[in-house]
Amino acid sequence: MEAIKFEKVHFSYRDGGEESEVFESDSAFSLDGIDFSVEEGEFVAVLGHNGSGKSTLARLTNGLLSPASGKITVLGMDASDEKLLFDIRKSVGIVFQNPDNQTVASIVEDDVAFGPENIGVPREEIGKRIDFALRAVGMESYRHSTTTRLSGGQKQRIAIAGVLALKPRVMILDESTAMLDPRGRKEVVEVVRRLNREENITVLLITHFPEEALLADRAVIMNRGKIVAEGKPQEILLREKELTESSLALPRAVKICRGLQRRGLAVKDAFEAEEIADEIARLTVAGGGQVLEQSSQTPRVETGKGSIICENLHYTYNEKSPFATHALCGVDLSIASGEFFGVLGHTGSGKSTFVQHLNALLRLPSSEKKYKPKKVKKNELPPPKTLLTVNGFDLTDKKTDFKELRKTVGMVFQYPEYQLFAETVFADVAFGLKNFSEKMSETEVENAVREAIETVGLNFLEVKNRSPFDLSGGQRRRVAIAGVIVTKPEILVLDEPAAGLDPLGKEEIMALLHKIHADWCKTVIIVSHDMDEIAENCTRAAIFSEGKILAVGTPKAIFSEHKITEEAGLDIPFTAKLTEKLAQKGIVIHSDFTTADFVQKTAKYIETAGAGTGLPPEGGQTNA
Amino acid sequence: MRDVSFGQYYPADSFVHKCDPRTKLVLLIVFIVAVFMADTFYALGACALAFFVVACFSGVPFKSLLKSVKAVLFLLLFTAVLNLFFYQGETVLWQWRFITVTAEALYFTVFLAVRLFLLVLSSAVLTLTTTPVSLTDGIESLLSPLKWIRFPVHELALIMSIALRFIPILTDETGRIMNAQKARGADFETGGLIKRVKAIIPILIPLLISAFRRADELGDAMDARCYSGSKTRTKYKKLAFSWRDLLAFLWIAGLLVGVILLKIYLPSVL
Repeated sequence: MEAIKFEKVHFSYRDGGEESEVFESDSAFSLDGIDFSVEEGEFVAVLGHNGSGKSTLARLTNGLLSPASGKITVLGMDASDEKLLFDIRKSVGIVFQNPDNQTVASIVEDDVAFGPENIGVPREEIGKRIDFALRAVGMESYRHSTTTRLSGGQKQRIAIAGVLALKPRVMILDESTAMLDPRGRKEVVEVVRRLNREENITVLLITHFPEEALLADRAVIMNRGKIVAEGKPQEILLREKELTESSLALPRAVKICRGLQRRGLAVKDAFEAEEIADEIARLTVAGGGQVLEQSSQTPRVETGKGSIICENLHYTYNEKSPFATHALCGVDLSIASGEFFGVLGHTGSGKSTFVQHLNALLRLPSSEKKYKPKKVKKNELPPPKTLLTVNGFDLTDKKTDFKELRKTVGMVFQYPEYQLFAETVFADVAFGLKNFSEKMSETEVENAVREAIETVGLNFLEVKNRSPFDLSGGQRRRVAIAGVIVTKPEILVLDEPAAGLDPLGKEEIMALLHKIHADWCKTVIIVSHDMDEIAENCTRAAIFSEGKILAVGTPKAIFSEHKITEEAGLDIPFTAKLTEKLAQKGIVIHSDFTTADFVQKTAKYIETAGAGTGLPPEGGQTNA
Repeated sequence: MRDVSFGQYYPADSFVHKCDPRTKLVLLIVFIVAVFMADTFYALGACALAFFVVACFSGVPFKSLLKSVKAVLFLLLFTAVLNLFFYQGETVLWQWRFITVTAEALYFTVFLAVRLFLLVLSSAVLTLTTTPVSLTDGIESLLSPLKWIRFPVHELALIMSIALRFIPILTDETGRIMNAQKARGADFETGGLIKRVKAIIPILIPLLISAFRRADELGDAMDARCYSGSKTRTKYKKLAFSWRDLLAFLWIAGLLVGVILLKIYLPSVL
């Protein structure tokens, strides 16, 4: 039987129709004649960019929305029949995107009990269902924990348990992994896959991460309210044209294969590092390749403006209270002017605490007005001195002009679009400028704002008088970044600048940051969970763990040391994985771990190895 | 802030912690009645003794208990001073110009201070030993008879518990937004009243928008989990009385009887 069936379903959020056509948010999220079905027990992935209508699909399925026309059948029940609404919701569970906004209770078990309580399950049975649901998501030891103290991945597992407690036959994950770090994403996807296999629950996984679709039986690509491709994920994820047209991207593994193919090498498309390594090994007979020397390319280093020098930085939250937590325990880190620097580490590793010191959102005790240095006793060594100089400002000194510092050290927080507040885009972008430079004339302000808005890739005249809340998510984020770079800071710090964006949005934001790095800010620092992002973009990176720095260096240097990434509990970029697999086969590739460089070095290696496989170089394309 | 749970709950596994929240709520009220009925030092002494025993069984260090008095210390001292100087009495102990301190005033001041102390401390024992969540459960259960007059008890309790759950999230969010605006040069610490109020706007608006967004999403999530109100709802967590509650009831009932007896047989010297 079909678990979910859509027949010619149309849906639109637009009711007035007065809005202009320029902004994607207006036409977003609607469905345009969808025919789609999911068999019972199937695992289907729905891929699509933000606003492609894929979330609308989920809400229509369990009656949170109803279609304008067309028919939706869920497990044989007509979704438009209000009398069946409860039965449908009982059998179709939805896990939403934001882990914080779907938990009702403060204690884990109370939250899981919420669903069964609603449908009147007897008390003893609820207890059994909580046992079952928490065991199924591997959270049984957190039964009595407070929900706010869990990690993102754990919170989403609790949300899944809350849905499972209703004993649904279908489970829809509506971008449930979008806000999680890679570790949390993995946790959630693994749980879902197991539920599909072991409990035979039909799963509809809505996501914009192509890699996640690989676990599904079937994948569907949605674009502008239509289904543009459907089939086995291993086949769908090779369709570059449909993926890029839908603002999605090829999985990184396939990108590397395609890059090698473009250089005339007969590499088959593959999704796993192991397979690609095999392919490359097949092409290099007997490992005879010449080991290319690692290019001694060191990042362009300048001192002075734009640089950061930090020595022996300590920070404790809630000092002198029973809740004291040492967030930083002696951090030494210098960042030179001109770097594109990455800060890595898990939640709680101290990386945010460090970053907040850079523009004095967190202050060193010695820079506070009330501070009096402690007297050192005679036979005692003076405590080691803390040094923190950012962009030429001494942050250990209370005489420093902290406002001036903040003007030159821009800080973009996570999900900055949620910090917009003004009536118009212009006013919001000008906010910082007016705070820092009160004497600026109107025309000067206008020019600066115009320049900032145009730099982030928006049309000044079109957006300046619009409310920031009318824009799409990606556009709002750009406005927020414009609001920070408008003061022309020398150092720009961004916390997870690409979080929550679809693959195309991510690429665009990173490209924007490189543009800002080239034209506006000397030094760019990004905080990120995404190892691939760091490897692709940063000149150097530091790994934080438990308030200390485990390693600093080029992405190549830090990701080659297994011990370090393991100790910090971090993944490694795909290129690093592949390099390692190749090294095990005796093929040593010295790349800087960016995809482009890896492809180039590998191609060169194979060429010098003679590539004596007899395969014609043109035969590379495996799919027509 | 992140690691500090909301409220002043002190985690421990004591006799008082294990008592039913309804017991604690009701007994607090009874205790307050007893304190107000006690109008002699003997009776008040009995109250203090009864409280001391409860405090000993609460597993909360006296330091934490006394901290709760700190908040109202000024109020306590203020009323004490007022009483000391302005209470009319006959036996003059000390006089300076127009200020007179009488024995009666001293007696009354000390009496009132002890009374207020006991009130503050006993409420502190409740909040220190009961999580906000179980306090909400207790209130819901105690108010449940009001259902008969169609008072939305369940809805009220749900609103309370959701509010409690979102307090740490919104506190975090406020901090984040404040930091973001500070990084853009906003200044919340200097300037006159109007300037400061204006400075709040860039925090308040994003916070409100986010709260509405969260409410909207939470509503959807609750709908999706079949929430429909109270009619056919069951409850997983049942509050249950145990021998501890009986013991606690007996203890406080004993106190109440004691206070009444003391009132009759050892009347006030005043």
